[in-house]
Amino acid sequence: MNHKNIDNIIELSNELRWQIGDDFHDNLTESIYADAADIVKDSVQIENSQRRFRLDARIDKIVTSKTFGFPIMFLILGIVLWLTIIGANYPSSLLADILLDTIHPSLKSGAASIQMPWWLSGFLIDGVYLAVAWVIAVMLPPMAIFFPMFTLLEDFGYLPRVAFNLDNLFKKSGAHGKQALTMSMGFGCNAAGVVATRIIDSPRERLIAIITNNFSLCNGRWPTQILIATIFIGALVPSAVSSLAALLAVIGIALLGMVFMFAVSWVLSKTVLKGEVSTFNLELPPYRPPRFWKTIYTSLIDRTLIVLWRAVVFAAPAGAVIWLISNIYIGNESIAAWAIHSFDGFGFILGLNGVILLAYIVAIPANEIVIPTILMLTVLVTGISAGSGAGVMFELDSVNATADILKAGGWTLLTAINLMLFSLLHNPCSTTIYTIYKETKSIKWTVFASVMPVVLGFIVTFLVAQFWRLLA
Amino acid sequence: MAYNPITALILFFVFSALLYVLFRPVKGWFWIFKKNVSSNEKIIIEDILKQLYHFENSGNKVDMKTLVQVLDFNNNRIVEAIKKMTINDLIYFESDVLKLTESGREYALRIVRVHRLWERYLADRTGFSKTEWHDRAELMEHQLSHDETEKLAAHLGNPKYDPHGDPIPTKTGKIAKVKGVELPLLSVNTVGRITHIEDEPEVIYKQILAENIHIGSLLRVIENNTTRIVFESEGEEFKLAPIVAANLTVAPIEKEVVLEDNIARLSGLKENETAKIIGISKESRGESRRRLLDLGFVKGADITIDLLNPLGEPHAYLIKGTSIALRKNQAAKILIKKN
Repeated sequence: MNHKNIDNIIELSNELRWQIGDDFHDNLTESIYADAADIVKDSVQIENSQRRFRLDARIDKIVTSKTFGFPIMFLILGIVLWLTIIGANYPSSLLADILLDTIHPSLKSGAASIQMPWWLSGFLIDGVYLAVAWVIAVMLPPMAIFFPMFTLLEDFGYLPRVAFNLDNLFKKSGAHGKQALTMSMGFGCNAAGVVATRIIDSPRERLIAIITNNFSLCNGRWPTQILIATIFIGALVPSAVSSLAALLAVIGIALLGMVFMFAVSWVLSKTVLKGEVSTFNLELPPYRPPRFWKTIYTSLIDRTLIVLWRAVVFAAPAGAVIWLISNIYIGNESIAAWAIHSFDGFGFILGLNGVILLAYIVAIPANEIVIPTILMLTVLVTGISAGSGAGVMFELDSVNATADILKAGGWTLLTAINLMLFSLLHNPCSTTIYTIYKETKSIKWTVFASVMPVVLGFIVTFLVAQFWRLLA
Repeated sequence: MAYNPITALILFFVFSALLYVLFRPVKGWFWIFKKNVSSNEKIIIEDILKQLYHFENSGNKVDMKTLVQVLDFNNNRIVEAIKKMTINDLIYFESDVLKLTESGREYALRIVRVHRLWERYLADRTGFSKTEWHDRAELMEHQLSHDETEKLAAHLGNPKYDPHGDPIPTKTGKIAKVKGVELPLLSVNTVGRITHIEDEPEVIYKQILAENIHIGSLLRVIENNTTRIVFESEGEEFKLAPIVAANLTVAPIEKEVVLEDNIARLSGLKENETAKIIGISKESRGESRRRLLDLGFVKGADITIDLLNPLGEPHAYLIKGTSIALRKNQAAKILIKKN
């Protein structure tokens, strides 16, 4: 075929396309869909779905009603969180008894009996083993309780109704109603919350949900909040109501996190994310009895164990680093002491201190080890006698003893409040960062999601510290 | 300097203010600086060509004075550019009126083509809001090379119109005609279809958007006088000032086509009413439109409200045995006929 022929054909095709018009593609698709619908209507018979459907409709009327919809929702979320926090205490302390108080000393004495060099046993047992054990003891029980309950609610079909009820609130900040679910999932674990954003199929809203998930106070941070609130906030009021005051303070921080979540979502959707495609729709699937055992199994395997495994993988090197910086000396100061002194100035401006900043740097892999690390480092720099030596993280059974160490480290009420704020507003743990990368496949968004909260944290603690010092 | 909370706060606020002044959207000094650096001669020339093209198309004559007023550049640079354009045979003077030469017109059409293609791209493939399309396309029209433009056109399926209903010139410079006349020229009771919504000036365009008027909608004029124009479309009544209405182009429809009376938007459906879907408005584009089709919002499907939302929206609609929640602005783009 010669060139002229080809040109003619192209010319003709252009001409024809011109004549067909712009609507051609749309009309074609729509008529295919419409034809398919007709075929289904003629050939598929639907039987007996009426009765079941009526029951569904009745449940829906109640859980989405103006009067009962919201109370039911808060009640269920409250119960789930309460069961998680209270219920996890027992297995957590049991695990801590076994892993930290029994196995750890016997490992140490075992190492001593085979005359392992002190640095090797320190590195392996006090560093790596202790960090991993700690993460498992604190993290495993709440996740093993929270995720199955959450998955059961999901399986039953209740969660989409929550998204339906709340969508209008989220729409105002440019987000998707389903972000209510990923946010709640974030209360269990941010990494799991980020994975859960897969249910949001609109690209822009999904990115918003991923980036703001860190504002949900996760399991690893609840214990820190509760401990610090008990020591410092609880002490402000008469002892009869001190635990109530501490609880309210922690709830206040969690609510503040939600405020930040909405505000940041709004800003994101108006600025950096405004060009991303946004589509909305929400399917309300029929209710069905949850498949109990299958749900328990999949939530344990898919959510709990995968997240735990990632945390362990990241915690092991963190433990090693913590031990090393406390035991390697440059001149006559350990790396840790040197770092703490150089962070002290910046920490002071933020109303924190060098110990806290260093603890948050080495504890990027797992928020669970922040408090043990802070205690160990405080002892290290103040030289008071507590704990079991440089680089060995510890926690005390008595809240009062913990308070004494922290106060010896120069802590004030301002330090405590800013620590609680910073614990809410700082970079996600490395498990979450890795998960964000896996889900977005974008270095840009991963870096943004990691750096933005910590910058926010600096700004908020800075402002609180300055106004505190001005007014106090 | 000794630490003092007040100095720290002052430093902080000065620093934040500085960042704000430099980087706030659009008016930040950094962006203005960047724009000035990049507004080179090519951009000025292309903007002049485009303006001349639009003026000539609407039958207006342009002299230097009007041109300088319309363009947002330094006067000396405009004069400089015009000199160069005359030498390169893009424009010529007829007494003091500026005119495009044949090759100038071709060049202008290429710019218009890129502009409208890019608006189409923004509408179909991104989430930018309608009010941003124009300004973004203004920047892009100077940046795309010939090959990139062709690739973009092929990628979008060689569209014929941009999202406002303006025709996109083809590679060879062919332009489809926009059918219809300005809305204020229609007499009462005329039935027509909106074929074009002008996006300049922005103030008026924003008013049209706020009214929720959709391109491609059928309408019937109810009242037309010098103070206002009232028309009915898709079960709702719209009242516009003539100056706003003039930005809508409407193609009258021949008498034989019967306008179905009870066409409405899904957003107007009440509880316990049933309806049949007639179609999805052209305003629903790209990914959203495909999603709706996937979910079964196709011509002929029966639809009712399944659940009302405690906060007002989104309502859940029962379609093909499934309950799907849609927000109000989406439901407004689905056309139904109530039973």
